[in-house]
Amino acid sequence: MKRSTQIGLAAAGVLLVATYWGRSGSPDQSEDSLVYNSLAECRAGGRLTSTQCDQRFREASANHLRDAKKFTSTSACETEYGSGSCQSAVWNGAPVIVPALAGFMLARSLAQGGGAAQPLLPPTRQAFPPGSQAPECQQARSSSGGGGGGGGYGGGRSSSRAYSTTSGAALVARSGTASGVATTSTTSRGGFGSTARSYSSSSSS
Amino acid sequence: MAPRPDWQTQVERLGFAFHTIDGETYWDESTAYAFTLDEIERDIEAPSEAIEQLCFAFIEKALASDEILTKLAIPAAHWDFIRESWQRGDRNLYGRLDLAYDGRGPAKLLEYNADTPTALFESSVVQWDWLEQAMARGALPAGCDQFNSLHERLIAALGQLREPSPYRLHLTCVQNSNEDKGTVDYLMDCAVQAGLDARFTFVEEIGLLSDGRFCDGANQPIETLFKLYPWEWLFRERYAGNLATSRCQFIEPPWKAILSNKGLLACLWDMEPDHPNLLPAFFEGDPRCSGLSPRHVRKPLYSREGANITLIERGQVLDQDDGPYGAEGFILQDAAPNLFGSARHYAVLGSWLVASQACGLCVREDASPITKNTSRFVPHYIEA
Repeated sequence: MKRSTQIGLAAAGVLLVATYWGRSGSPDQSEDSLVYNSLAECRAGGRLTSTQCDQRFREASANHLRDAKKFTSTSACETEYGSGSCQSAVWNGAPVIVPALAGFMLARSLAQGGGAAQPLLPPTRQAFPPGSQAPECQQARSSSGGGGGGGGYGGGRSSSRAYSTTSGAALVARSGTASGVATTSTTSRGGFGSTARSYSSSSSS
Repeated sequence: MAPRPDWQTQVERLGFAFHTIDGETYWDESTAYAFTLDEIERDIEAPSEAIEQLCFAFIEKALASDEILTKLAIPAAHWDFIRESWQRGDRNLYGRLDLAYDGRGPAKLLEYNADTPTALFESSVVQWDWLEQAMARGALPAGCDQFNSLHERLIAALGQLREPSPYRLHLTCVQNSNEDKGTVDYLMDCAVQAGLDARFTFVEEIGLLSDGRFCDGANQPIETLFKLYPWEWLFRERYAGNLATSRCQFIEPPWKAILSNKGLLACLWDMEPDHPNLLPAFFEGDPRCSGLSPRHVRKPLYSREGANITLIERGQVLDQDDGPYGAEGFILQDAAPNLFGSARHYAVLGSWLVASQACGLCVREDASPITKNTSRFVPHYIEA
Protein backbone atom coordinates (compact mmCIF):
# COMPACT_ATOMS: atom_id res chain seq x y z
CA MET A 1 0.00 0.00 0.00
CA LYS A 2 1.40 3.39 -0.94
CA ARG A 3 -0.87 5.42 1.30
CA SER A 4 -1.06 6.05 5.04
CA THR A 5 -2.81 3.34 7.00
CA GLN A 6 -4.56 5.73 9.32
CA ILE A 7 -4.96 9.44 9.88
CA GLY A 8 -5.74 11.03 13.20
CA LEU A 9 -6.53 14.74 13.43
CA ALA A 10 -6.84 16.32 16.82
CA ALA A 11 -8.22 19.62 15.58
CA ALA A 12 -11.06 17.94 13.73
CA GLY A 13 -11.36 15.15 16.28
CA VAL A 14 -11.31 12.39 13.69
CA LEU A 15 -9.45 9.14 13.42
CA LEU A 16 -9.61 7.63 9.95
CA VAL A 17 -8.46 4.11 9.28
CA ALA A 18 -7.68 2.93 5.76
CA THR A 19 -9.70 0.08 4.41
CA TYR A 20 -7.41 -2.58 3.13
CA TRP A 21 -9.07 -4.12 0.12
CA GLY A 22 -7.83 -7.54 -0.74
CA ARG A 23 -7.95 -8.52 -4.38
CA SER A 24 -11.12 -10.49 -3.84
CA GLY A 25 -12.16 -9.59 -0.33
CA SER A 26 -15.28 -7.69 0.42
CA PRO A 27 -14.87 -4.56 2.44
CA ASP A 28 -16.27 -3.67 5.76
CA GLN A 29 -18.61 -0.84 4.86
CA SER A 30 -19.00 0.61 8.30
CA GLU A 31 -17.85 4.15 8.84
CA ASP A 32 -17.49 3.65 12.59
CA SER A 33 -14.14 4.25 14.08
CA LEU A 34 -12.97 1.02 15.57
CA VAL A 35 -11.63 2.40 18.78
CA TYR A 36 -13.23 0.96 21.89
CA ASN A 37 -12.68 2.10 25.43
CA SER A 38 -13.70 -1.14 27.04
CA LEU A 39 -14.86 -4.65 26.44
CA ALA A 40 -18.41 -3.54 27.27
CA GLU A 41 -18.28 -0.81 24.63
CA CYS A 42 -17.08 -3.30 22.04
CA ARG A 43 -19.93 -5.67 22.85
CA ALA A 44 -22.49 -2.88 22.87
CA GLY A 45 -21.20 -1.60 19.53
CA GLY A 46 -22.61 -4.62 17.76
CA ARG A 47 -19.93 -4.59 15.07
CA LEU A 48 -18.09 -7.58 16.46
CA THR A 49 -19.61 -10.59 18.15
CA SER A 50 -19.22 -10.94 21.87
CA THR A 51 -16.64 -13.69 21.33
CA GLN A 52 -14.65 -11.52 18.93
CA CYS A 53 -14.72 -8.66 21.41
CA ASP A 54 -13.42 -10.95 24.15
CA GLN A 55 -10.64 -12.18 21.90
CA ARG A 56 -9.62 -8.69 20.74
CA PHE A 57 -9.69 -7.40 24.25
CA ARG A 58 -7.48 -10.24 25.47
CA GLU A 59 -5.02 -9.48 22.69
CA ALA A 60 -4.97 -5.81 23.56
CA SER A 61 -4.47 -6.61 27.23
CA ALA A 62 -1.60 -8.96 26.47
CA ASN A 63 0.03 -6.47 24.09
CA HIS A 64 -0.56 -3.74 26.62
CA LEU A 65 1.49 -5.46 29.26
CA ARG A 66 4.16 -6.39 26.74
CA ASP A 67 4.48 -2.97 25.07
CA ALA A 68 3.63 -0.39 27.72
CA LYS A 69 6.50 1.46 29.33
CA LYS A 70 7.29 -0.10 32.71
CA PHE A 71 7.95 1.94 35.82
CA THR A 72 9.26 0.97 39.21
CA SER A 73 7.02 3.38 41.07
CA THR A 74 3.52 4.76 40.73
CA SER A 75 4.79 8.30 41.10
CA ALA A 76 7.22 7.92 38.18
CA CYS A 77 4.43 6.56 36.00
CA GLU A 78 2.01 9.28 37.09
CA THR A 79 4.59 11.94 36.34
CA GLU A 80 4.38 10.85 32.74
CA TYR A 81 0.75 9.81 32.40
CA GLY A 82 -1.05 11.81 35.06
CA SER A 83 -2.59 11.11 38.40
CA GLY A 84 -4.73 7.97 38.58
CA SER A 85 -3.59 6.77 35.15
CA CYS A 86 -1.38 3.91 36.24
CA GLN A 87 -1.81 0.41 37.55
CA SER A 88 0.35 -2.29 39.06
CA ALA A 89 1.06 -5.47 37.15
CA VAL A 90 3.44 -8.39 37.08
CA TRP A 91 5.83 -8.64 34.16
CA ASN A 92 8.32 -11.50 33.83
CA GLY A 93 7.71 -12.37 37.44
CA ALA A 94 8.51 -8.90 38.73
CA PRO A 95 6.11 -6.25 40.00
CA VAL A 96 5.91 -3.21 37.70
CA ILE A 97 3.76 -0.12 37.31
CA VAL A 98 2.36 0.56 33.84
CA PRO A 99 -0.02 3.15 32.40
CA ALA A 100 -3.51 1.65 32.45
CA LEU A 101 -5.14 0.24 29.34
CA ALA A 102 -7.36 3.06 28.14
CA GLY A 103 -8.86 1.40 25.12
CA PHE A 104 -8.00 -0.56 22.03
CA MET A 105 -7.95 0.09 18.36
CA LEU A 106 -8.58 -2.22 15.42
CA ALA A 107 -7.72 -1.64 11.81
CA ARG A 108 -11.17 -1.60 10.30
CA SER A 109 -10.78 -4.47 7.87
CA LEU A 110 -8.82 -6.53 10.35
CA ALA A 111 -11.59 -6.44 12.91
CA GLN A 112 -13.24 -9.62 11.66
CA GLY A 113 -10.16 -11.53 10.70
CA GLY A 114 -6.57 -11.58 11.83
CA GLY A 115 -4.48 -8.74 13.09
CA ALA A 116 -3.83 -7.89 16.68
CA ALA A 117 -5.70 -5.21 18.55
CA GLN A 118 -3.54 -2.24 19.41
CA PRO A 119 -3.69 -1.18 23.07
CA LEU A 120 -4.22 2.51 23.83
CA LEU A 121 -2.93 4.26 26.92
CA PRO A 122 -4.02 7.41 28.74
CA PRO A 123 -2.69 10.62 27.19
CA THR A 124 0.67 11.75 28.45
CA ARG A 125 0.95 14.82 30.64
CA GLN A 126 3.31 16.22 28.08
CA ALA A 127 0.60 16.24 25.44
CA PHE A 128 -2.06 17.23 27.98
CA PRO A 129 -0.51 19.40 30.65
CA PRO A 130 -2.46 19.58 33.90
CA GLY A 131 -4.27 22.87 34.20
CA SER A 132 -4.49 23.37 30.48
CA GLN A 133 -7.66 25.10 29.38
CA ALA A 134 -7.97 23.14 26.16
CA PRO A 135 -11.23 21.17 26.34
CA GLU A 136 -9.61 17.91 25.25
CA CYS A 137 -7.09 18.24 28.04
CA GLN A 138 -9.71 18.83 30.66
CA GLN A 139 -11.65 15.90 29.39
CA ALA A 140 -8.58 13.73 29.29
CA ARG A 141 -7.64 14.60 32.83
CA SER A 142 -11.05 14.51 34.41
CA SER A 143 -12.00 11.23 32.85
CA SER A 144 -8.67 9.71 33.65
CA GLY A 145 -8.42 7.00 36.24
CA GLY A 146 -8.25 3.62 34.60
CA GLY A 147 -6.68 1.23 37.03
CA GLY A 148 -7.71 -2.34 37.56
CA GLY A 149 -6.87 -5.01 35.10
CA GLY A 150 -8.18 -3.77 31.82
CA GLY A 151 -10.56 -1.19 33.15
CA GLY A 152 -12.10 1.28 30.78
CA TYR A 153 -10.76 4.74 30.31
CA GLY A 154 -12.96 7.69 29.58
CA GLY A 155 -16.70 7.94 29.58
CA GLY A 156 -19.06 8.66 26.75
CA ARG A 157 -18.24 8.74 23.06
CA SER A 158 -16.65 12.03 22.35
CA SER A 159 -15.21 13.15 19.05
CA SER A 160 -12.03 14.41 20.63
CA ARG A 161 -10.85 11.84 23.07
CA ALA A 162 -7.21 11.62 23.83
CA TYR A 163 -4.94 8.60 24.01
CA SER A 164 -1.33 7.77 23.62
CA THR A 165 0.09 4.69 21.99
CA THR A 166 2.61 2.32 23.56
CA SER A 167 5.24 3.87 21.32
CA GLY A 168 4.55 7.23 22.93
CA ALA A 169 2.65 8.99 20.16
CA ALA A 170 -0.39 11.06 21.03
CA LEU A 171 -3.57 10.08 19.27
CA VAL A 172 -6.37 12.56 18.65
CA ALA A 173 -4.97 15.12 21.00
CA ARG A 174 -4.40 18.82 21.14
CA SER A 175 -1.38 20.40 22.67
CA GLY A 176 -1.68 22.50 25.78
CA THR A 177 -1.55 26.24 25.83
CA ALA A 178 0.18 26.63 29.15
CA SER A 179 3.29 28.69 28.73
CA GLY A 180 6.34 28.64 30.91
CA VAL A 181 7.92 31.59 32.61
CA ALA A 182 10.74 33.20 30.72
CA THR A 183 13.62 34.33 32.88
CA THR A 184 15.08 36.57 30.21
CA SER A 185 13.52 39.78 29.10
CA THR A 186 12.27 40.59 25.64
CA THR A 187 14.27 43.40 24.11
CA SER A 188 12.22 43.85 20.97
CA ARG A 189 9.47 42.37 18.87
CA GLY A 190 8.37 42.42 15.26
CA GLY A 191 11.71 41.97 13.53
CA PHE A 192 10.22 39.49 11.08
CA GLY A 193 7.27 39.76 8.75
CA SER A 194 7.98 43.04 7.00
CA THR A 195 8.43 41.48 3.56
CA ALA A 196 5.08 39.73 3.78
CA ARG A 197 3.44 43.05 4.60
CA SER A 198 4.99 44.69 1.56
CA TYR A 199 3.92 41.89 -0.80
CA SER A 200 0.33 41.14 -1.55
CA SER A 201 0.97 37.57 -2.62
CA SER A 202 1.58 34.58 -0.43
CA SER A 203 4.74 33.74 1.47
CA SER A 204 4.31 30.09 0.63
CA SER A 205 4.12 28.10 -2.52
CA MET B 1 -16.26 11.83 -11.79
CA ALA B 2 -19.28 13.15 -9.99
CA PRO B 3 -18.29 15.05 -6.85
CA ARG B 4 -19.76 13.74 -3.61
CA PRO B 5 -23.12 15.50 -3.25
CA ASP B 6 -22.06 16.69 0.21
CA TRP B 7 -18.38 17.19 -0.63
CA GLN B 8 -18.18 20.49 1.23
CA THR B 9 -19.47 18.92 4.43
CA GLN B 10 -17.16 15.96 3.94
CA VAL B 11 -14.01 18.02 3.53
CA GLU B 12 -15.00 20.47 6.26
CA ARG B 13 -15.37 17.64 8.77
CA LEU B 14 -11.62 17.14 8.32
CA GLY B 15 -11.04 20.78 9.18
CA PHE B 16 -10.31 21.80 5.57
CA ALA B 17 -11.21 25.47 5.64
CA PHE B 18 -9.91 26.75 2.30
CA HIS B 19 -11.61 24.43 -0.21
CA THR B 20 -12.97 27.58 -1.85
CA ILE B 21 -10.66 30.57 -2.28
CA ASP B 22 -12.02 34.01 -3.16
CA GLY B 23 -15.27 32.42 -4.30
CA GLU B 24 -13.51 30.02 -6.69
CA THR B 25 -13.35 26.26 -6.20
CA TYR B 26 -9.90 25.18 -5.06
CA TRP B 27 -10.62 21.59 -4.05
CA ASP B 28 -12.04 20.11 -7.26
CA GLU B 29 -13.14 16.47 -7.17
CA SER B 30 -15.07 16.60 -10.42
CA THR B 31 -11.88 15.23 -11.98
CA ALA B 32 -9.36 12.71 -10.71
CA TYR B 33 -6.06 11.59 -12.20
CA ALA B 34 -5.41 7.86 -12.52
CA PHE B 35 -1.89 6.43 -12.47
CA THR B 36 -0.55 2.92 -12.72
CA LEU B 37 1.73 1.74 -9.95
CA ASP B 38 4.52 1.58 -12.52
CA GLU B 39 4.05 5.20 -13.50
CA ILE B 40 4.19 6.24 -9.85
CA GLU B 41 7.23 4.20 -8.92
CA ARG B 42 9.24 4.51 -12.11
CA ASP B 43 8.30 7.99 -13.32
CA ILE B 44 7.58 9.95 -10.10
CA GLU B 45 9.00 8.29 -7.00
CA ALA B 46 12.42 7.18 -8.26
CA PRO B 47 13.19 10.40 -10.21
CA SER B 48 12.12 12.53 -7.23
CA GLU B 49 14.64 10.85 -4.99
CA ALA B 50 17.26 11.03 -7.72
CA ILE B 51 16.67 14.78 -8.08
CA GLU B 52 16.97 15.18 -4.31
CA GLN B 53 20.35 13.43 -4.38
CA LEU B 54 21.46 15.66 -7.23
CA CYS B 55 20.36 18.66 -5.17
CA PHE B 56 22.50 17.50 -2.26
CA ALA B 57 25.50 17.22 -4.57
CA PHE B 58 24.75 20.73 -5.77
CA ILE B 59 24.61 22.10 -2.20
CA GLU B 60 28.11 20.75 -1.58
CA LYS B 61 29.29 22.46 -4.72
CA ALA B 62 27.47 25.74 -4.05
CA LEU B 63 28.67 26.09 -0.47
CA ALA B 64 32.25 25.88 -1.70
CA SER B 65 31.70 28.49 -4.39
CA ASP B 66 31.23 32.18 -3.67
CA GLU B 67 30.42 32.60 -7.35
CA ILE B 68 27.40 30.30 -7.19
CA LEU B 69 26.12 31.80 -3.93
CA THR B 70 26.38 35.24 -5.53
CA LYS B 71 24.50 34.05 -8.62
CA LEU B 72 21.76 32.71 -6.36
CA ALA B 73 21.47 36.20 -4.82
CA ILE B 74 22.00 34.91 -1.30
CA PRO B 75 23.34 37.74 0.89
CA ALA B 76 26.99 37.12 1.74
CA ALA B 77 26.33 37.88 5.40
CA HIS B 78 24.45 34.58 5.65
CA TRP B 79 26.78 32.25 3.79
CA ASP B 80 28.46 30.96 6.94
CA PHE B 81 25.09 30.51 8.63
CA ILE B 82 23.99 28.33 5.71
CA ARG B 83 27.29 26.44 5.53
CA GLU B 84 27.16 25.64 9.24
CA SER B 85 23.62 24.30 9.01
CA TRP B 86 24.71 21.94 6.23
CA GLN B 87 27.90 20.84 8.00
CA ARG B 88 25.96 20.20 11.22
CA GLY B 89 23.58 18.05 9.23
CA ASP B 90 20.46 20.00 10.22
CA ARG B 91 17.57 17.80 9.19
CA ASN B 92 14.90 18.86 6.76
CA LEU B 93 11.20 18.15 6.99
CA TYR B 94 9.61 18.42 3.59
CA GLY B 95 9.55 19.82 0.09
CA ARG B 96 7.60 19.60 -3.14
CA LEU B 97 9.08 19.03 -6.57
CA ASP B 98 6.84 20.38 -9.30
CA LEU B 99 6.97 18.12 -12.32
CA ALA B 100 5.66 18.10 -15.86
CA TYR B 101 4.45 14.63 -16.78
CA ASP B 102 1.90 13.36 -19.26
CA GLY B 103 2.49 9.63 -18.89
CA ARG B 104 4.88 9.58 -21.86
CA GLY B 105 8.56 9.74 -21.09
CA PRO B 106 10.37 11.01 -18.02
CA ALA B 107 8.92 13.62 -15.70
CA LYS B 108 10.65 17.01 -16.00
CA LEU B 109 11.49 19.23 -13.05
CA LEU B 110 9.76 22.61 -13.32
CA GLU B 111 10.89 23.87 -9.93
CA TYR B 112 11.58 22.80 -6.37
CA ASN B 113 9.49 24.27 -3.56
CA ALA B 114 12.04 23.29 -0.97
CA ASP B 115 11.40 25.89 1.69
CA THR B 116 7.75 26.85 2.14
CA PRO B 117 5.49 24.48 0.21
CA THR B 118 1.75 24.48 0.85
CA ALA B 119 -1.05 22.24 -0.50
CA LEU B 120 0.16 19.80 2.17
CA PHE B 121 -3.02 19.16 4.15
CA GLU B 122 -5.15 18.61 1.07
CA SER B 123 -2.49 16.24 -0.29
CA SER B 124 -2.02 14.29 2.91
CA VAL B 125 -5.54 14.12 4.33
CA VAL B 126 -8.28 15.44 2.07
CA GLN B 127 -7.42 13.43 -1.04
CA TRP B 128 -6.75 10.35 1.13
CA ASP B 129 -10.22 10.56 2.62
CA TRP B 130 -11.68 11.24 -0.82
CA LEU B 131 -10.23 7.95 -2.09
CA GLU B 132 -11.48 5.97 0.91
CA GLN B 133 -14.96 7.31 0.37
CA ALA B 134 -14.83 6.84 -3.41
CA MET B 135 -14.02 3.16 -2.93
CA ALA B 136 -16.57 2.74 -0.13
CA ARG B 137 -19.41 4.04 -2.29
CA GLY B 138 -18.27 2.20 -5.39
CA ALA B 139 -17.31 5.26 -7.45
CA LEU B 140 -13.88 3.68 -7.81
CA PRO B 141 -13.14 -0.04 -7.83
CA ALA B 142 -11.92 -1.71 -4.66
CA GLY B 143 -8.18 -2.10 -4.40
CA CYS B 144 -7.24 1.36 -5.66
CA ASP B 145 -4.43 3.08 -3.84
CA GLN B 146 -2.78 6.49 -3.67
CA PHE B 147 0.81 7.69 -3.60
CA ASN B 148 0.40 9.30 -0.23
CA SER B 149 1.95 8.19 3.02
CA LEU B 150 2.54 11.87 3.89
CA HIS B 151 0.70 11.76 7.19
CA GLU B 152 2.69 8.87 8.59
CA ARG B 153 5.98 10.19 7.25
CA LEU B 154 5.43 13.69 8.62
CA ILE B 155 4.75 12.39 12.13
CA ALA B 156 7.79 10.13 12.02
CA ALA B 157 10.03 12.87 10.59
CA LEU B 158 8.88 15.53 13.07
CA GLY B 159 9.83 13.21 15.92
CA GLN B 160 13.34 12.84 14.52
CA LEU B 161 14.27 16.38 13.56
CA ARG B 162 16.06 17.04 16.80
CA GLU B 163 17.76 15.05 19.56
CA PRO B 164 16.75 14.37 22.21
CA SER B 165 13.14 13.92 21.18
CA PRO B 166 10.47 14.79 22.18
CA TYR B 167 11.47 18.42 22.12
CA ARG B 168 9.63 21.72 22.08
CA LEU B 169 8.69 22.90 18.59
CA HIS B 170 7.42 26.34 17.70
CA LEU B 171 5.56 26.75 14.44
CA THR B 172 5.03 30.06 12.69
CA CYS B 173 3.46 31.70 9.66
CA VAL B 174 2.19 35.14 8.70
CA GLN B 175 -1.09 36.58 9.87
CA ASN B 176 -3.98 36.89 7.43
CA SER B 177 -3.33 33.83 5.29
CA ASN B 178 -5.86 31.04 5.71
CA GLU B 179 -3.86 28.77 3.47
CA ASP B 180 -0.60 29.20 5.39
CA LYS B 181 -2.35 28.92 8.76
CA GLY B 182 -4.13 25.77 7.59
CA THR B 183 -0.80 24.22 6.60
CA VAL B 184 0.84 25.11 9.91
CA ASP B 185 -2.18 23.94 11.93
CA TYR B 186 -1.92 20.58 10.22
CA LEU B 187 1.80 20.27 10.89
CA MET B 188 1.16 21.22 14.50
CA ASP B 189 -1.36 18.41 14.72
CA CYS B 190 1.26 16.02 13.35
CA ALA B 191 3.85 17.37 15.80
CA VAL B 192 1.57 16.69 18.76
CA GLN B 193 1.04 13.15 17.48
CA ALA B 194 4.81 12.80 17.33
CA GLY B 195 4.78 13.56 21.05
CA LEU B 196 6.26 17.05 20.69
CA ASP B 197 5.46 20.10 22.79
CA ALA B 198 4.13 22.13 19.86
CA ARG B 199 3.34 25.83 20.11
CA PHE B 200 2.17 28.32 17.53
CA THR B 201 3.18 31.94 17.14
CA PHE B 202 2.72 34.34 14.23
CA VAL B 203 5.87 35.54 12.45
CA GLU B 204 4.99 39.11 13.39
CA GLU B 205 4.86 38.17 17.10
CA ILE B 206 8.39 36.80 17.26
CA GLY B 207 10.57 38.78 19.60
CA LEU B 208 14.21 38.87 20.62
CA LEU B 209 15.32 38.05 24.16
CA SER B 210 18.21 39.77 25.91
CA ASP B 211 20.24 36.57 25.65
CA GLY B 212 20.01 36.55 21.85
CA ARG B 213 17.35 33.91 21.47
CA PHE B 214 14.06 34.49 19.67
CA CYS B 215 10.85 34.19 21.65
CA ASP B 216 7.18 33.67 20.88
CA GLY B 217 4.30 36.01 21.66
CA ALA B 218 4.27 34.75 25.27
CA ASN B 219 8.03 35.41 25.62
CA GLN B 220 8.77 31.69 25.61
CA PRO B 221 12.25 31.10 24.11
CA ILE B 222 12.23 29.48 20.69
CA GLU B 223 14.65 26.57 20.40
CA THR B 224 13.27 24.86 17.32
CA LEU B 225 11.21 26.77 14.79
CA PHE B 226 9.17 25.51 11.88
CA LYS B 227 8.73 28.62 9.74
CA LEU B 228 6.37 28.75 6.81
CA TYR B 229 8.17 31.92 5.82
CA PRO B 230 10.87 32.04 3.16
CA TRP B 231 14.56 32.26 3.94
CA GLU B 232 15.14 34.98 1.38
CA TRP B 233 12.80 37.23 3.38
CA LEU B 234 14.23 36.27 6.78
CA PHE B 235 17.68 37.10 5.38
CA ARG B 236 16.61 40.65 4.55
CA GLU B 237 14.49 41.67 7.54
CA ARG B 238 15.35 43.48 10.75
CA TYR B 239 16.24 40.35 12.74
CA ALA B 240 18.41 38.94 9.94
CA GLY B 241 21.56 39.70 11.88
CA ASN B 242 20.24 37.77 14.88
CA LEU B 243 19.62 34.51 13.02
CA ALA B 244 23.09 33.02 13.42
CA THR B 245 23.32 33.85 17.12
CA SER B 246 19.80 32.74 18.05
CA ARG B 247 20.82 29.15 18.94
CA CYS B 248 17.62 28.13 17.17
CA GLN B 249 17.25 25.07 14.98
CA PHE B 250 15.21 26.11 11.96
CA ILE B 251 12.93 23.94 9.88
CA GLU B 252 13.34 24.05 6.99
CA PRO B 253 17.08 24.42 7.70
CA PRO B 254 19.03 27.38 6.27
CA TRP B 255 20.63 25.18 3.59
CA LYS B 256 17.22 24.88 1.93
CA ALA B 257 17.79 28.48 0.79
CA ILE B 258 20.13 27.02 -1.84
CA LEU B 259 17.34 24.88 -3.27
CA SER B 260 14.29 27.14 -2.98
CA ASN B 261 15.70 29.37 -5.65
CA LYS B 262 15.03 29.06 -9.35
CA GLY B 263 18.71 29.58 -10.01
CA LEU B 264 18.87 25.94 -8.89
CA LEU B 265 17.35 24.91 -12.21
CA ALA B 266 20.15 26.51 -14.21
CA CYS B 267 22.78 25.15 -11.83
CA LEU B 268 21.46 21.58 -11.98
CA TRP B 269 21.40 21.68 -15.77
CA ASP B 270 24.96 22.98 -15.71
CA MET B 271 25.98 20.03 -13.52
CA GLU B 272 24.04 17.36 -15.38
CA PRO B 273 23.22 18.51 -18.90
CA ASP B 274 20.86 16.06 -20.62
CA HIS B 275 19.67 14.59 -17.31
CA PRO B 276 16.36 12.92 -18.27
CA ASN B 277 14.39 14.72 -15.53
CA LEU B 278 15.78 18.21 -16.11
CA LEU B 279 14.88 20.88 -18.64
CA PRO B 280 17.59 23.03 -20.22
CA ALA B 281 17.90 26.21 -18.15
CA PHE B 282 20.35 29.12 -17.88
CA PHE B 283 20.67 32.35 -15.99
CA GLU B 284 19.39 35.25 -18.08
CA GLY B 285 22.30 36.85 -19.88
CA ASP B 286 24.20 33.57 -20.23
CA PRO B 287 25.18 33.28 -23.93
CA ARG B 288 23.96 29.68 -23.86
CA CYS B 289 20.40 31.00 -23.61
CA SER B 290 20.43 31.28 -27.39
CA GLY B 291 20.42 27.49 -27.52
CA LEU B 292 17.09 27.26 -25.70
CA SER B 293 13.98 26.23 -27.55
CA PRO B 294 11.91 29.07 -29.02
CA ARG B 295 9.25 28.18 -26.48
CA HIS B 296 10.68 28.89 -23.07
CA VAL B 297 9.84 30.34 -19.70
CA ARG B 298 11.35 33.29 -17.84
CA LYS B 299 11.30 32.88 -14.07
CA PRO B 300 12.55 35.19 -11.32
CA LEU B 301 15.02 33.62 -8.87
CA TYR B 302 12.51 34.20 -6.11
CA SER B 303 8.86 33.84 -6.94
CA ARG B 304 5.87 32.21 -5.38
CA GLU B 305 2.68 30.80 -6.84
CA GLY B 306 3.56 31.61 -10.42
CA ALA B 307 4.14 35.32 -9.80
CA ASN B 308 6.20 37.14 -12.46
CA ILE B 309 6.63 34.06 -14.62
CA THR B 310 6.46 34.61 -18.37
CA LEU B 311 5.95 32.01 -21.11
CA ILE B 312 7.58 33.07 -24.36
CA GLU B 313 7.31 31.57 -27.85
CA ARG B 314 9.49 32.96 -30.61
CA GLY B 315 9.79 36.25 -28.78
CA GLN B 316 6.05 36.55 -28.19
CA VAL B 317 4.70 36.56 -24.65
CA LEU B 318 2.03 33.83 -24.49
CA ASP B 319 1.19 33.95 -20.83
CA GLN B 320 2.45 35.84 -17.84
CA ASP B 321 1.60 36.46 -14.27
CA ASP B 322 2.22 39.85 -12.74
CA GLY B 323 3.78 40.13 -9.36
CA PRO B 324 6.33 41.78 -7.15
CA TYR B 325 9.33 39.53 -7.82
CA GLY B 326 12.31 39.75 -10.11
CA ALA B 327 14.71 42.23 -8.49
CA GLU B 328 17.29 39.49 -7.93
CA GLY B 329 17.40 38.30 -11.53
CA PHE B 330 15.87 35.66 -13.76
CA ILE B 331 16.49 32.30 -15.33
CA LEU B 332 15.26 31.04 -18.67
CA GLN B 333 14.07 27.44 -18.93
CA ASP B 334 12.76 25.44 -21.86
CA ALA B 335 9.01 25.01 -21.72
CA ALA B 336 8.25 21.43 -20.76
CA PRO B 337 7.24 19.44 -23.82
CA ASN B 338 5.31 16.99 -21.67
CA LEU B 339 3.12 19.24 -19.54
CA PHE B 340 -0.20 17.44 -19.26
CA GLY B 341 -2.74 19.49 -21.14
CA SER B 342 -6.22 19.17 -22.52
CA ALA B 343 -8.55 21.59 -24.25
CA ARG B 344 -9.71 22.82 -20.87
CA HIS B 345 -6.63 23.01 -18.69
CA TYR B 346 -3.06 22.10 -17.83
CA ALA B 347 -1.89 19.98 -14.92
CA VAL B 348 1.30 20.09 -12.88
CA LEU B 349 2.29 17.28 -10.55
CA GLY B 350 3.68 18.00 -7.11
CA SER B 351 5.90 15.22 -5.83
CA TRP B 352 6.29 15.37 -2.07
CA LEU B 353 9.44 14.59 -0.18
CA VAL B 354 9.40 14.09 3.57
CA ALA B 355 12.85 13.87 5.16
CA SER B 356 14.08 13.60 1.54
CA GLN B 357 12.00 10.51 0.82
CA ALA B 358 9.42 10.67 -1.97
CA CYS B 359 6.10 9.72 -0.41
CA GLY B 360 3.22 11.61 -1.94
CA LEU B 361 1.68 13.26 -4.95
CA CYS B 362 -0.66 16.12 -5.67
CA VAL B 363 -2.07 17.39 -8.93
CA ARG B 364 -2.98 20.98 -9.59
CA GLU B 365 -4.85 22.15 -12.64
CA ASP B 366 -4.91 25.58 -14.16
CA ALA B 367 -6.51 27.08 -17.23
CA SER B 368 -3.10 28.42 -18.26
CA PRO B 369 0.30 26.70 -18.52
CA ILE B 370 1.55 28.65 -15.48
CA THR B 371 0.30 27.20 -12.22
CA LYS B 372 -0.80 30.06 -10.00
CA ASN B 373 -2.45 30.57 -6.68
CA THR B 374 -5.76 30.29 -8.53
CA SER B 375 -5.06 26.73 -9.59
CA ARG B 376 -7.35 23.91 -8.48
CA PHE B 377 -6.30 20.91 -6.44
CA VAL B 378 -7.43 17.65 -8.04
CA PRO B 379 -7.17 14.24 -6.32
CA HIS B 380 -5.38 11.23 -7.78
CA TYR B 381 -5.44 7.47 -7.36
CA ILE B 382 -3.45 4.42 -8.34
CA GLU B 383 -5.47 1.97 -10.36
CA ALA B 384 -6.34 -1.39 -8.80
